[in-house]
Amino acid sequence: MTVDVGHLDDFRDGQVTIVVVDGREIGVVRWSDDVFALANLCAHQRGPLCRGTLSPRLESREPGAMELAEGAPVIACPWHGWEFDVRTGRAVWDEGYAVRTYPVQVENGRILLDLGPRRQAAR
Amino acid sequence: MHSTIIDCDVHHARRTDAELLEFLAPAWREYAVGPGRAGNVPLTVSDGYPNPHGFMRADSYADDGAPPGSDLTTMNAQLLTPLNVGRAVLTYGDDIHVSGHHNPYFATALAQALNDWTVARWLEADNRLFGSILVAAQLPERAAEEVRRMADNPRMVQVLLADNPTKSGFGHPIFHPIYEAAVETGRPVAIHAGANDWANPPSTGGATSNLYFETHSLWPQALMTHFVSLVAHGVFEKYPQLKILLIEGGGAWVAPLLWRMDTEYKGLRREIPWVRRLPSEYFREHVWVTTQPLELSPRREQLIDVLGWIDGADRLVFSSDYPHWDSDEVEHVRARLPREWQDNVFRGNAMRLYDWADAGLPVELALGVGE
Repeated sequence: MTVDVGHLDDFRDGQVTIVVVDGREIGVVRWSDDVFALANLCAHQRGPLCRGTLSPRLESREPGAMELAEGAPVIACPWHGWEFDVRTGRAVWDEGYAVRTYPVQVENGRILLDLGPRRQAAR
Repeated sequence: MHSTIIDCDVHHARRTDAELLEFLAPAWREYAVGPGRAGNVPLTVSDGYPNPHGFMRADSYADDGAPPGSDLTTMNAQLLTPLNVGRAVLTYGDDIHVSGHHNPYFATALAQALNDWTVARWLEADNRLFGSILVAAQLPERAAEEVRRMADNPRMVQVLLADNPTKSGFGHPIFHPIYEAAVETGRPVAIHAGANDWANPPSTGGATSNLYFETHSLWPQALMTHFVSLVAHGVFEKYPQLKILLIEGGGAWVAPLLWRMDTEYKGLRREIPWVRRLPSEYFREHVWVTTQPLELSPRREQLIDVLGWIDGADRLVFSSDYPHWDSDEVEHVRARLPREWQDNVFRGNAMRLYDWADAGLPVELALGVGE
């Protein structure tokens, strides 16, 4: 199911905007020319992940050295600071631990989220 | 009879000041004996917490009254022969607190003298004995020089740290020259518990202890501080070959600390991006722990459970702590550990820790010979 969540201009660069689609809270991240989407739900204690801080990832070549990885936005859950790579949903400390992400397409300035198969209606 | 074992914590001592003064550089010897009738400048720093039993096994004084750990004949009769110790790693008596001296230059000279004394008086007297390169951590560059100086002797098998002369944990870059020398010379670095609140307080968390019961119950605290510090400062990333041995703190506290550290890392990786793996992973690759004093859990399986989580079968090495008052006896430890761990804990892990399989040591020292 593909959902149009708005025009690119409606989303500020370097920020996460929470939209509600099909009953799900999804954080839409605009990062320069890229757009990413991830569930507003931390895998750790089900905290509101997308209400946390969005920032470039900090990296290090050697102990004591700090570098910015500008092209690698991470979001830190507001509850415990666990950081996830916004592009992949993977935790920065364990690639095997991840939050849900959604494929994003931008067509004619519109942001389209692919939410996967449509949910079955409750009987 | 069981196979020979390796004992990774045996405290050898000296009988008199004169025994050590002989190995001190002449100018420092003059400095030390200068007070004349007033007595020598103290060669050891004094401890602050009296144990009402004394710190040594009351039965470990030699027949002629020599201090515990100072007489090889007594050590042989009480430890090496009855416990079937094939190799023992010596870790000094009160002299281990060399980094607690206020005078960093004298401490450096003392460490050199103690290492030379160990080789001449102990290693040359009994080929089952191996030594620790004691360093004065007040001057880490000089300490690194001492590691390189002593590393020519293959029976000086590890670098030894105990007291902490600074307010920072042993992971702080100020100490890195010591690790660099250790890796370069292929020596593990042993950190001996008790540096908290001993000659050089006040690293006991929360408060300075008043009673020996307090300080001894909290013995592992310094080991916790230093292991956390080593991880936080990225020492295992900077020195991927570094091996650490934590001595005389027991092992039951390790698993809960690692659980906590792994959790903290997930939230605080941003502060320490040079730490690339979970702290528990560094532990399992770089750290060994001596068994003594083996914690007595209410049920045997409880201790095995927490030691199992830290891969105790691979990370634990037996230590008696002879001749200290709370030393552990072999059968006491053997009865509390799984049978399938025992070859490793009593021999194999130490062989790997010290790289003894290919150290070019005399063949008669090979474990198992003469069983």
